[in-house]
Amino acid sequence: MSWHQPLTADPRQAVPAAGRSAVELHQVTRFHGPRATGVAALDGVSLSCPAGSWTAVMGPSGSGKSTLLHCAAGLDRVTSGRVFLAGRDITAAPERVLTEMRRRTIGFVFQSFNLISSLTAEQNVAFPAKLAGTRVSKSEVRQVLAGVGLADRAGHRPRELSGGQQQRVAIARAMISRPAVLFADEPTGALDSHSAKAVLDLLRTMVRSAGQTIVMVTHDPAVAAGADAVVFLSDGRIVDRMEQPSTRGVAERLARLEG
Amino acid sequence: MFLMSLSTFRERWELFVGAILSVAVGVALVQASMVVLAATGEPQIPPGLSRQAEDQVREGFVGAATVMGMTAFLAMFLAVFIVSSTFGFTVVQRRRDLALLRLTGGSRGQLRMLLLSESLLLGVVGSVLGVPLGVVAQGIQTWLLIGMGLLPEGFSASFQVWAAVVAGVIGVGVALTGVFTASLRAARIRPLEALRETGEAARVMTVSRWLLGVSFASCTVAMVVWAQGANLIGAMLAALGISMFGAVAMSLLSPLVVPFTAWLVGIVVPAGALVGLARANLRDGVRRSAATASPLIVLVALLLGLAGTFGSLAAASGEEAKRSVAAQLVVSSTGEEAERLPAIEGVAVASRQNAVDITITVRSRSVYTGIVAVDAAEYARTHTLAPATGSLDALTGDTVFTGPAQHSERIKPGQVLAVEAGGQALQLTVVGGFPETLEAGDSFLVPRATLPVEVWAGAPTETVVQVVPGQDPDVVARRIEQAGFAQVQSVPEWAAARAENAQDGNVKILTVVMGLAGLYALMAVVNAVVIAGTERRREFAVARVTGLDRAQVVRTAVVEATAVAVIGVVLGCGVAGAGLIGISGAIHKAMGATVVYVPWTLLAVVAIGSVAVVAATSGITAAIATNPPAVSLVTTKE
Repeated sequence: MSWHQPLTADPRQAVPAAGRSAVELHQVTRFHGPRATGVAALDGVSLSCPAGSWTAVMGPSGSGKSTLLHCAAGLDRVTSGRVFLAGRDITAAPERVLTEMRRRTIGFVFQSFNLISSLTAEQNVAFPAKLAGTRVSKSEVRQVLAGVGLADRAGHRPRELSGGQQQRVAIARAMISRPAVLFADEPTGALDSHSAKAVLDLLRTMVRSAGQTIVMVTHDPAVAAGADAVVFLSDGRIVDRMEQPSTRGVAERLARLEG
Repeated sequence: MFLMSLSTFRERWELFVGAILSVAVGVALVQASMVVLAATGEPQIPPGLSRQAEDQVREGFVGAATVMGMTAFLAMFLAVFIVSSTFGFTVVQRRRDLALLRLTGGSRGQLRMLLLSESLLLGVVGSVLGVPLGVVAQGIQTWLLIGMGLLPEGFSASFQVWAAVVAGVIGVGVALTGVFTASLRAARIRPLEALRETGEAARVMTVSRWLLGVSFASCTVAMVVWAQGANLIGAMLAALGISMFGAVAMSLLSPLVVPFTAWLVGIVVPAGALVGLARANLRDGVRRSAATASPLIVLVALLLGLAGTFGSLAAASGEEAKRSVAAQLVVSSTGEEAERLPAIEGVAVASRQNAVDITITVRSRSVYTGIVAVDAAEYARTHTLAPATGSLDALTGDTVFTGPAQHSERIKPGQVLAVEAGGQALQLTVVGGFPETLEAGDSFLVPRATLPVEVWAGAPTETVVQVVPGQDPDVVARRIEQAGFAQVQSVPEWAAARAENAQDGNVKILTVVMGLAGLYALMAVVNAVVIAGTERRREFAVARVTGLDRAQVVRTAVVEATAVAVIGVVLGCGVAGAGLIGISGAIHKAMGATVVYVPWTLLAVVAIGSVAVVAATSGITAAIATNPPAVSLVTTKE
């Protein structure tokens, strides 16, 4: 399984030039519950993920990893601060704009694969494009599925696929629109080590050969080590950042945070 | 979008089969009632009948039309209520699916379109299936109406295309409107909810639910209050309205009662891990509990409410009959035999009322039934009902008095009516009339002396006997029996028999009105239980991997469903009770006495039956849902 030719950067999608930020958070705070008594899931977080880079977000449970991802992707509203996505300020963007961005600018991959159980792999992949009203040819869908190594599984429903296969369908679905940013929340969390490795290889190829921007939340140091940079969160604050991380370095840093 | 609808359809067939069934049966009921109602509008009189028999057949048709009108009205109400609640529930059950759609880029408009096109599809399929079902329902209704004697043997209603079209339009329309509000709500689902395993604890008592619930409840209370001052027809309509509005109010507000019931379950059932789980599930699944309880509330409210209303009216008519006579005994015989009664020792007054076979023509309309020949003086001494106009003293010679049954015809004193009695033509002047009573009552009172003897001698006669003060009525009754009269009743016995008679008729009417409709509501209950159960496969699986065995999971589900059924029955009884307060207030106003009939037997049957049905359905559904190995459900993510 390798990342084939079809998924190189597409001229249709304005991928921000390398060096510019694909995702930027400025002093983002997110309270759960009323401001006076609520808990700050994010507390003054600033983060910049350059286009074409792979950023991993790590931290103990409850450190605000997922909230960070949700806020960055426009799935959750911030209490204060500003969020930029693909050069656009989405802090107060109306639902219509966010919907449009979900269709064209961002892709999601989650621990629970969130495929639509009633649709085949092929239909799942083509679905977002259909929602967006853009025509995708069958061959295009097949190519994307082939790209994730599932050319022979196009007609299967999610429940007929293994966890690793389902996750690859989810990645193919996220990639069909050539998103500027791919958000991944524990993409290997529900997979066995073999499937996890296949998914990670796939993500790595996407970054290296197609310049895909990925923001990923994980708790697995080995997974995080595949990224270009790792940021560490604790109690809703960014406490450290590590460039070109190693598994051991990430594990030690995390152990100190949790200890 | 259509592909998506179609494939969702394949995937969640229990949900959609339930929705289609609710439309199909609703459409069938509406269609059937309309066809039969239309057919009763043109009485089919079998040839070779006497004019009285013809009159009776015609009256039967009028009665059947009234009953079918009620049935059609109820069927429409139930169709609207059940289809919209079932469809709304299917949307709620798919919250996570819909959030997922939003996550993959679906806009709010697309979500609404999806749901509306889905409900259009379901509505059309359901309506089409409803047409043949409607023919079956029509057969059953006709059979019931013939069985209760309202329609002549051999009556048949022919299929009407317009009825099928109207019912179909109602079916599709209701399906669409039922989903419409749910789709507006669903469109507000945030994409993030797809990522939550359990889904956001969605607020069940939304502002609109509160508003609607409270306004329906206020309308119900207003009708109860209004009924206190209404006449009996008004009160009967109010009772129907109270049952319907109250049922809607209760099902909207039922989520408020669920936590209380969960607490009550803890008190009543001995504590244990399973009961604890069932209670927690109850509190957690408020929306689900409310959806299951809704059709049950309607079923219980309508069935008990109508039975109580009819029963109270029947009991009141008995009470009215008892109060209408100032006498102790009632003797049935022929007119000629009755002439011997005044001479029997101990009889003070014997008011003979001969049901004579004569024709009175009012504005070119001939009346043959309910014409009674009396002696005005005797009648006045033994009856308490005061005339609305005129005086009984004037009822001598060529005169006539209008009875309660003709009150609504507004026949004025002084009017001259053409009468044909035993081949003799008479002109009788109206000298007064009685007011309307609970029972239809007599049509006309005619002085016996005015009529030829042969007209009343053989007529069936009811004689109201006042015994001489100081005499024991029982002794006098025995003396009358010894004189050769077979049928002697005390006034309470006679009144009770009349009430019983009225009640028998009511049971028949209730069977026609609520029989099929009740089954429809029961089907909706089963439907809701099945939908709720099959959607819980994963939850059940989680319970099993936590350490519960299959039987325990099923038992927990049954305990929970039973509690929900009890909620439904209790709230339904509350509504029926409100209806009874309304009708008893009106009866009190009409007669100055409080007469309430509580259908205890029916209540017991309905309560036990519906709890049993819900418990059994939930048990079976849970057993089927727990059939696949738990681990497969817990680990595979869909």
